[in-house]
Amino acid sequence: MTAKTADGKEIGKQSRHYHPQATNEKSSKMLYGAQVKTAYLRDTSIQPYRTKEETFEFVLPEGVRSAEVTVNLFYEISSPALIAEIHKVTRTVTLDR
Amino acid sequence: MRLRWLLVGALVAMPAVASAQKAKTIDELAQMFDSSRCKSCHAEIYAQWEKSHHARPMMGVAGGLKDTPLAMKGATPFSPDDPSKATIATFPCFKCHLPQAVTHAEDSVAVEYAQALIAKDKAKIGKLQITCLVCHNEKAIVHRLSDGKPQPGVLYSSKEVASHPDKVFKSVKKSGIFKQSLMCGQCHGLGPNLEFENPVQCATLYGSYLHAYIPAGGTQTCQECHMKPINGQADHLIAPNWDDVPGVSKILQEALSLDVQTLGYEWLEKAKTHVPKVVVNTKINSTAGHRVPDG
Repeated sequence: MTAKTADGKEIGKQSRHYHPQATNEKSSKMLYGAQVKTAYLRDTSIQPYRTKEETFEFVLPEGVRSAEVTVNLFYEISSPALIAEIHKVTRTVTLDR
Repeated sequence: MRLRWLLVGALVAMPAVASAQKAKTIDELAQMFDSSRCKSCHAEIYAQWEKSHHARPMMGVAGGLKDTPLAMKGATPFSPDDPSKATIATFPCFKCHLPQAVTHAEDSVAVEYAQALIAKDKAKIGKLQITCLVCHNEKAIVHRLSDGKPQPGVLYSSKEVASHPDKVFKSVKKSGIFKQSLMCGQCHGLGPNLEFENPVQCATLYGSYLHAYIPAGGTQTCQECHMKPINGQADHLIAPNWDDVPGVSKILQEALSLDVQTLGYEWLEKAKTHVPKVVVNTKINSTAGHRVPDG
């Protein structure tokens, strides 16, 4: 999730990672690679018929009354350079009514 | 010498799969499970399969040759000191990525494969495929004690075909599991594989299907989502094709929904102190039959 001012300055950025995380069970260090992984020790992946809820909050800088918020849900296929976008939602949020 | 040539010739010309003879080279193994004849009558299905990961199970995503560390000394617990020392056992990935190697290949195939990985010989590695015969014969029967092993010269599918116009596979028998997730679950993972000398954990998708999707009330099979019929026949692309990024996006969009709610307000943190704040609430819902990601 990123938030920018009307002139494009980034004022907030947060992320969540959804995936099973494994070790070789001999140390607490997460490992990647089928040949070295042994068991999951944490699983933050998206589960069937379960809702993944998140709340992101950030404080607007002084003098800023609105922000353009973009939530980008994407799938990292094999490396950060190879991603498949799933959903991208952009909203303008303002304090003014 | 002449006899040996004749035997190899027979093997090459008429692969029937359940051979006691094991392949000594990648070419022999590829020929033993060659399914190119299927194309003449099943062109559409064959074309779908050719684009699938089953047609390039050893290539990795984007041609990354995922098994290369297994051929490099010290890179994994399985890696031999030298590619020439590789065996079928030093490539535990064969269990699913090339199951016919476990049953039908000599260690010399593993040596050739290890050397090809080091040489980045994609043309040779690309010959190793999960062909039609792997699923429609070799892996077609799970209940082998009660149903017997797959028979040579017989194909298995979701329905019986009394007369199949092929010179070797002259009949198609019905497999009781072909429309069931169990068929796919043979390879798409319950959890860590503990039968090896060192544990291996790749896909855990079938475990997720059994222990998360089914308990959540899910009723669909792998095939119903990943092999939806096209022109009345199961789609053998078996999406996603990870090398087709737009296609990956499409299937994930179908399975995952995203709801976004936003709020801007001035929070009264303490007396006379309002903090301008933006709140973003997100909800992701999944109808996938397994955790995302998994494989």
